[in-house]
Amino acid sequence: MILFRSFLFILFLLTFSSLAQSQRLAVDLSSSEVEISTGFNGAELLLFGATGGYGDIVVTVVGPRRDEVVRRKERIAGIWVNGSSVTFKSAPAYYRIAASKPLDDIASSDILDQLRIGVAEIDLVTQSPRPAREILNFREALIRNKKRLLLYSEDISDIKIIRDLLFRSTIPFPANVPTGDYEVNVHLFKNGKPVSQMTTSLPVRKVGLEARLYNFAHDQAPWYGAIAIVIALVAGWLAGVIFRRT
Amino acid sequence: MQIYLPIAEMSLDALLLLGLGGMVGFLSGMFGVGGGFLMTPLLIFIGVPPAVAVGTEANQVVAASVSGALAHWRRKNVDIRMGLILLIGGLVGSSLGVWLFTFLRSIGQIDSVIAISYVLFLGIIGILMVVESARAWCRARNPSAPRRKLHYHTWLHGLPFKMRFRRSKLYISALLPLGIGIIVGILAAIMGVGGGFVMVPAMIYLLGMPTSVVVGTSLFQIVFVTANVTFLQSVNNQTVDIVLAMLLVIGSVVGAQIGARVGERLRGEEVRVALGLIVLVVCARVAWTLVSTPDDVFSLGQIGGHG
Repeated sequence: MILFRSFLFILFLLTFSSLAQSQRLAVDLSSSEVEISTGFNGAELLLFGATGGYGDIVVTVVGPRRDEVVRRKERIAGIWVNGSSVTFKSAPAYYRIAASKPLDDIASSDILDQLRIGVAEIDLVTQSPRPAREILNFREALIRNKKRLLLYSEDISDIKIIRDLLFRSTIPFPANVPTGDYEVNVHLFKNGKPVSQMTTSLPVRKVGLEARLYNFAHDQAPWYGAIAIVIALVAGWLAGVIFRRT
Repeated sequence: MQIYLPIAEMSLDALLLLGLGGMVGFLSGMFGVGGGFLMTPLLIFIGVPPAVAVGTEANQVVAASVSGALAHWRRKNVDIRMGLILLIGGLVGSSLGVWLFTFLRSIGQIDSVIAISYVLFLGIIGILMVVESARAWCRARNPSAPRRKLHYHTWLHGLPFKMRFRRSKLYISALLPLGIGIIVGILAAIMGVGGGFVMVPAMIYLLGMPTSVVVGTSLFQIVFVTANVTFLQSVNNQTVDIVLAMLLVIGSVVGAQIGARVGERLRGEEVRVALGLIVLVVCARVAWTLVSTPDDVFSLGQIGGHG
């Protein structure tokens, strides 16, 4: 795997060394999609590109957006049960940011805010009528829990820049990665100003038996249930027959 | 060896799951119980979403009960009439239970309700088992002590719709087994168990059925009720993971055979005390998750997603 990545990288170096002179930004990923199959236990993608001269790179990876409920446990009669909740509309299921330098050294916070770069900048909208301060607690809890699940992360200084021309970074996906369409955004900054930006879409999907079972369970639920029962009946009956003989 | 479970949407060690199935199968074979009440909490402890643990466990119990049910059927240890009435109750109860499950899940309370149900039922059954075995043990040491009457006449016997159950030699109200069936059905749906641990004592102490037909009749009911739960959970919640169920089934059928052989060499009272203690340990562990302060009082729950 490492050998393969190095090979890709060298290949890339050869191809783009001429392009490096121009002001353009070129980016590619070691794989055009993340496939979840039977043995899936997380994946790591290599992102690599050329900057065309001196600059700083910031990469954000944003997962598919969906409604996310944050619940707060409350102690009722001695036991902890879910109490109040806040639903955030179209929160990204995954968010990762990587940069070649600490963000403060790359651009001013105003510029970063405009480009929505940084975990603090994730737009989490809610229609909850709760007071703003309480909403903030829920918002922080969402980010904290997502970080614990390795679904949100800020890994500054993870991007390596080589001779002011090329850069590379790895994007890790944990085993519990949600499926859907991901967006990889690469920003090029020069002297604190964004000069170039590129977006690549990256599908994360189940493949093979995993995909078939999942789709079957959701699209043809009654048949899935019936087959689950038949398999269990046959397996149980078969086990009884085998063990009675021995 | 990691394996990705398509419905649970997580990656777990296949050997761990086989081992878990084997261990619970061993205990269930040794004690002659279904094992669902041990497996569901264990699955939740290793990180399977509670809703998936319950739905999948119902599917596993179908496999775990069918060969026993067939064996008892062949030996004519099934009171078919009683079984059918328990089954009607069970189907009503489990359908009601899955509906309740779906509703509780939508308002984010299913995890707590599963845990509270476990604490309540395991606590009651565990204490009863330990006390009952201790009494039996005392009687064995002191045979002159007066025996408890097995059969009491209470208001339960004054209920209408009396029916004759020839195989069980009983003439009781059909409402009794119907009610037991309904309660067991609700438990099956919400706790992911067969419910034998509630049904068997109820059949013996409440209905007064002869022990020879109790196990066969309860297994007969459990196969159909857990099948109904599997079907309804698949349709309403998509929480039955076939891959997870199969790994558990493979482990548990092997474990159950070994357990059954070990169990034959043990004395009845010892077995019941040991089972009662295991039940109480699981109960205490689940209770701890409810009363201990969580690391983070906030948690994530997707709409229409897991728990």
